[in-house]
Amino acid sequence: MAKARPIPGLASETRFGDAAAAAVEVRAAEVFEHSAGVLDTKDVEGVHAMRVSTRRLRAALEVFAVCFPRKEHKRLLREVKALADALGERRDPDVAIGALTNAAAELTQAENAGIASLTAELREDQRRGNAGLEQALERVRAGHLEARLAALARAARSDAAEEAATP
Amino acid sequence: MKARKVKKLDPDGALTDNAQRIVAVRLKELRSFAPRALDPGESGALHDMRIAAKRLRYVLETTEPALGSSAREGARTAKKLQDLLGDIHDCDVMLPRVRAHTDRLRAEDAEWVREAAGATAKDLAPAAVRSAPHRARYRGLEALTVYLTARRAVLFERFLREWEALEAGGFAVRMMEGLSPPRPEPAAPPGEAAP
Repeated sequence: MAKARPIPGLASETRFGDAAAAAVEVRAAEVFEHSAGVLDTKDVEGVHAMRVSTRRLRAALEVFAVCFPRKEHKRLLREVKALADALGERRDPDVAIGALTNAAAELTQAENAGIASLTAELREDQRRGNAGLEQALERVRAGHLEARLAALARAARSDAAEEAATP
Repeated sequence: MKARKVKKLDPDGALTDNAQRIVAVRLKELRSFAPRALDPGESGALHDMRIAAKRLRYVLETTEPALGSSAREGARTAKKLQDLLGDIHDCDVMLPRVRAHTDRLRAEDAEWVREAAGATAKDLAPAAVRSAPHRARYRGLEALTVYLTARRAVLFERFLREWEALEAGGFAVRMMEGLSPPRPEPAAPPGEAAP
């Protein structure tokens, strides 16, 4: 799992709103960078990385809530939470299957039939979770979540910081 | 679990001042779950405490460049606590899942054996169970239940020890004291010598 990227330009005296803009920009970028290949059930790390990134983005939105336009912030936080929930529905069976696989390796052959039976049930959860995640990702694309998060971040930034941030 | 509201945050204020207010509330929130969460049967309080640890960790990680090494240390402590409570939560989620799966297999087997006996059967011999389709599965599921129950107890006892050590070491006070980085001294008025 990738470590959180440092947020550039944060210091003690940084204006809270400018820190909010920088934090949301960095955390949102991390979410969308991890979206490629996330529906591949053979690669469980992709969905884990995107889920953790989504949690970090949600945390940034909550920590800096006071800096953003209220209505749009509330709407975007709800959409990010929905994405996080869909990632969780897919990730939870991944984790449980991994734990059962490890347990099976340490139990006897006679005990493995029961573990395999439960694993098969969890594979069905995983399949359903993946279908739900596919729909959630489509909603994210159709709702232009990435662009709207960028606009939300800009709204928190002071004119001076915006000027400095513009290339 | 809804996060407690943090008052007096100012978008135009300094990051440090705002971050300190948020950390203070999140720390208080985390510690507020301790009395109930120290009861092994209170899995809901343990779950809430895990969420509170996660919130504290993320605010410390995000604002660490402004709050310094104490925030980094605090984030590490919160993550360790969150991970341990997460492992306990995994047991709390998996145990009913295993029991429900076992119950379903048992019900299906009973139904199968009942039907195999025929509609006019007067009684049933124990040997009829030999044909139950899930018969070979119970042993592993029972072993898993035993393992998860015991693991949960081990993890909970570790949580009690680690939480007690954190509180005995005054982690909350130390964290808050460490979150005040030295501010630059205001410039001395012209003609006045610096002390």
